[in-house]
Amino acid sequence: MVMSFFSKRESGLDHIVARAVGMLGDARHSFDLATLALLTNTDTAAVEADIRATDERINNMEQQLRAELVVHVTVQGSTDIGSVLGMILLLKKIERIGDQATNVLDLAESGVRLAGEPDTEAMLAERGLISTMFGEAADLLSEPDVERTEEFAERVLAVVAEHRAKIESYLHSDRPGREVVPRAIYYRYLKRIVANLLGIVHTAAEPIPAANQPDDKDD
Amino acid sequence: MPTWFRSVLVFSLIYTFLVGVSALEKGIKIMGEDTQEALFSSVSNPIAGLCVGILGTVLVQSSSASTSVIVGLVATGGISVEAAVPMIMGANIGTTVTNTLVSLGHVRQSNEFKRAFAAATVHDFFNVMAVALLLPLELLTGLVSKTATWISDRLVGTAGTEWKSPVKAWVKKPVEWIVDVWEAVGLNGNVLGTTVVLTGLAIVLLSLTFITKNMRELVADRVEKSVNKVLGKGSGSVAMLLGLVITIAVQSSSITTSILIPLAAAGVLSLRNAYPVTLGANVGTTITALLAALAASVPEALTVGLAHTVFNVLGIALLYVPRFVRYVPVRLAEGLAEVAFSRPAWAVVYVMTAFIVLPLIGVGLFG
Repeated sequence: MVMSFFSKRESGLDHIVARAVGMLGDARHSFDLATLALLTNTDTAAVEADIRATDERINNMEQQLRAELVVHVTVQGSTDIGSVLGMILLLKKIERIGDQATNVLDLAESGVRLAGEPDTEAMLAERGLISTMFGEAADLLSEPDVERTEEFAERVLAVVAEHRAKIESYLHSDRPGREVVPRAIYYRYLKRIVANLLGIVHTAAEPIPAANQPDDKDD
Repeated sequence: MPTWFRSVLVFSLIYTFLVGVSALEKGIKIMGEDTQEALFSSVSNPIAGLCVGILGTVLVQSSSASTSVIVGLVATGGISVEAAVPMIMGANIGTTVTNTLVSLGHVRQSNEFKRAFAAATVHDFFNVMAVALLLPLELLTGLVSKTATWISDRLVGTAGTEWKSPVKAWVKKPVEWIVDVWEAVGLNGNVLGTTVVLTGLAIVLLSLTFITKNMRELVADRVEKSVNKVLGKGSGSVAMLLGLVITIAVQSSSITTSILIPLAAAGVLSLRNAYPVTLGANVGTTITALLAALAASVPEALTVGLAHTVFNVLGIALLYVPRFVRYVPVRLAEGLAEVAFSRPAWAVVYVMTAFIVLPLIGVGLFG
């Protein structure tokens, strides 16, 4: 352990970004399993332990990395304080995605099953699309890219708008509550997960949004 | 600044530091024996020596600097090894003022302040307890000085002889230039000696400041990695070794211990995890006096440097290795932090009393 002082490996924020990418991978794993439990006939008991253990791992990693960020600022000073604050926010968002995946599992455990329904195939396709977005977000977190971030943001905002419309339609639907309420709740979780993915990518690209001062002539 | 350039700069600064120590020795030698006698007679009493060590270190905020000066003084023959050991012990206590002052910065957030103040004063309590145990032992048996002399004899030869230090030869010319410059402006005798001493002091302080600053930049990533290793895991001995390695790297125990304070304040590092790092830093900081001894021409200088190391190692052996006393400084620090938490003004009273008033009284009574 003492020899680690002399060893060469990634340090500081690079190390934290690498760990955050790992956390995002864990969050994706939880999301895939929880939605599988809700949208298919998968036994929830079979995936529950895995999802909860993964969520705990994500929470522990978030705490550990936050402590490492405090160490970073203490040792290196405040030169990259913007990135540090952004990173704290980013870790919190990943931790929330873990919680929201667990919420989807809770929904399945409460007895809700969306398997074999007319819209199941569409929801499974959407699940696959969002799972892919986790991978894209991880890529953009490792290597921020303005153009790809903008393109990703457009797609995410379209998905969020679609989810919002669906939630609205479920809330005002004449169909029975046992059909629309679980879907409204499910889409609310999906909307938050997708919005958090966009938040992660945005934070990686621009930790603290620049304050745009208006020109005097605009006053 | 490129790493290679900073590395070259650090080596140059170490050389400058050694020139400073050697100039200090030269300046005192220029002064007459009567002046030397008058100058150092006040520290012949061990309590006065201890208090001078505390005050001197508080003044320069660096035990590395004060112990290097003590090494320089011993090299001139003005102070004996036995008289220097209490001063070295005082320097150990005085150096803790820096992180205690850092902890006062958290005074507005009461819970943070309590944790920060405890993390800072655990160092004070350990050092005071080490002195309370080892100073009487030193006075009765010469434990620290005899052990250091024994090691020094085996490394460079017996006391009273001339040690042909290669470093001494490397720094000889610049020291002569310093003397020549002051002679050229018409100084001589005690005035010349004092001016050369002050020049040496300024060089030592400045070069140490820049060594620490540059080394901190050079090893910041490694320090960060090492502190992360200590967080919540790793045994006390590992934490102690990391404290030792970090301090040797940055050449300042104050840097190491001051890094711990914000971490303790934020609750990231527990007091029990921070404590052994502090002890490692105590030993690590002794490297500077050993380095300073390389610029001296007598074995006694190295003996004093080694006495600093021996004192800190013995302190750990007596106060950390036995489990029943291990956490006494921690409990005392927690108790004092509790008092400071309820009345923050007491923290200021503590700093003023422990680091200024009591040492001044000590010098007044025993000097």
